[in-house]
Amino acid sequence: MVSAQVKIINPQGMHMRPAQLFVTKMSAFPCDVTIVFKGTAINAKSIMHLMAACMKQGSEIEVQCNGEQEEAALAAAVELIESGLGDC
Amino acid sequence: MTLQGIGASDGIGLGKVLPVRPASLDYSAVVSGGPETERSRLTAAIQRFTETTTAMAESLRADVGEKESEILTGQVVMLSDPFMQSQMTDCIDGGQCAEAAVDQVCSSFMAMFAGVDDEMMRQRATDIGDIRSRMLSILLGREATDLSRLPENTVLVVHDLTPSMTVGMDRQHVAAIVTEVGGRTSHSAILARAMEVPAVLSVANVVDTLAEGQDIIVDGTAGVVLTEFDETTRQQYEAKRAEYLHQRELLNVYRDRPTVDADGNHYGLYANIGSAAEAQAAADAGAEGIGLFRTEFLFMDRTAAPTEEEQYEAYAAVAKTMAGKEVIIRTLDVGGDKAVDYLEMEPEENPFLGHRAIRYCLDRADLFRVQLRALLRAGAVGKNIKIMLPLVTSVEEIRKAKALLEECKTELQAEGKAFDAEISVGIMIETPAAAWIADLLALECDFFSIGTNDLTQYTMAVDRGNAKVAGLYDTLHPAVLRSIRSVIAAAKAAKIPVGMCGEAAADPRLTPLLLTWGLDEFSVSASSVLATRAQIHRWHRNDAEIVTEHAMDCATAAAVAERLSQ
Repeated sequence: MVSAQVKIINPQGMHMRPAQLFVTKMSAFPCDVTIVFKGTAINAKSIMHLMAACMKQGSEIEVQCNGEQEEAALAAAVELIESGLGDC
Repeated sequence: MTLQGIGASDGIGLGKVLPVRPASLDYSAVVSGGPETERSRLTAAIQRFTETTTAMAESLRADVGEKESEILTGQVVMLSDPFMQSQMTDCIDGGQCAEAAVDQVCSSFMAMFAGVDDEMMRQRATDIGDIRSRMLSILLGREATDLSRLPENTVLVVHDLTPSMTVGMDRQHVAAIVTEVGGRTSHSAILARAMEVPAVLSVANVVDTLAEGQDIIVDGTAGVVLTEFDETTRQQYEAKRAEYLHQRELLNVYRDRPTVDADGNHYGLYANIGSAAEAQAAADAGAEGIGLFRTEFLFMDRTAAPTEEEQYEAYAAVAKTMAGKEVIIRTLDVGGDKAVDYLEMEPEENPFLGHRAIRYCLDRADLFRVQLRALLRAGAVGKNIKIMLPLVTSVEEIRKAKALLEECKTELQAEGKAFDAEISVGIMIETPAAAWIADLLALECDFFSIGTNDLTQYTMAVDRGNAKVAGLYDTLHPAVLRSIRSVIAAAKAAKIPVGMCGEAAADPRLTPLLLTWGLDEFSVSASSVLATRAQIHRWHRNDAEIVTEHAMDCATAAAVAERLSQ
């Protein structure tokens, strides 16, 4: 398993459109993708779980990838979040 | 019997009641046909949901707007969540029917969203509730009442009119709409006005109290529903309806005409709106721009201020709808009669003379900046947004607001975000102080808009809500008319545009005066656009000047009124 700490920077936080984009990109990887936020593990391929977690601008999260292509998945996740999830 | 409600869409409708009840979603009689069968029922239902919802979203995008349609496309995205679906199949594998699986999983997500501390996220619970009912009705084969083929003169009686109901509705045959909930700015009201169907909202329990096929009269202008009436009354309403339609027909001629007086001089005719959704209705009504977008409605009925992003979306949506036409957006005007809970404004002895509008915003730079940033960014969309500051009484207020605006521009520049660096900043003239120093204020801003409602109240020093003195409130009072005249003159001298966004702009008695003085732009409610254009068409400049001279010679409001009514 690989993991990285990132901060949500886009103003909307993990709302519908950013969450939709994140799920679409992550679903392309075969590995499991989990976000740990406030001590809770969230399935990052589920838009419902992502939205319900209420991650906002400034929230510090940990992305964990486990399985096939985990390195590539993590790199993609970090880049996506740090570039503002298409919302800047 | 007469039922009182809220008149939300003008006109009169006579017809037979069609109560639209949501289909029963009781699935207690359904027995699981085994995991295989239930799984394929679920898959088929999801597919049907996706198809119908996508089709509804497309139709809504064309008919109503992008925002309304996004609610529906969002629901498709949510239901497509593979983990939500796998929870449903888990229930099915545990021996339950597809209906129970949908119900349980949706309910648990609704509970999850209802508990979060984010206003926008909590609204997702409503979406999931919608997904649940539509999925259940598909599974149970009880899809909503078909409104695509209705008998003539149908009065739809519903709990609430939703965007999905209006899709494919047989509008030609809808005489009127009556609902149990909603106000003038609710979704249902906007939809009814967009369809030009008379509507009365907020009539309690009406779906159960009215019988199917019963004859009723709906007066959307007065906000009443008549359930029992004699032949004479019916004939009176038939005549009123004919008269209303006749008037509307006459005015329709003006829909695509330019706003010119009888000599061919051009004027701007804009609309006042309170939400992004109303912009389309304003454009449809023939408005040439938005003269007043009241942003306080964005801040009301919620638990926290809207984020920069939410505000940006609302402003950008209006800018897009009105592409190529001016959109004047008034910054937050709260206080006085418009209190907002989470803003924690202290109760005041004299709220109308207190900490409100621009005064409040300048002291709450944290809030004000968010709005200014959103406006600047939305300005980049179509370069058609103008900022308007309410309740200005001094030059310093404009300077302070503009200094904040400059800081916001610097921030946005540093963040590399697109914004309109040249955005215009104007002010509302609605206090005697502003009227008296209009020449000085004109040097500091790009345009004026006269807010006659407050200008009248403050000039006359009268509380409209106090019945004992309300009679003193009169825009035709010589003091108010002189103020308006001198403000327009100050704007002309400084060569900046001047508009009017109060109710007086639509008052036909004032039209000749405003034309004479050279008002550049009239901003009225969407429903008054055509009538105002028709009024402006009537006047030759010479005649208007004579009438104005006579009116301004009068010593009392009553004398002015008498002159202008001739």
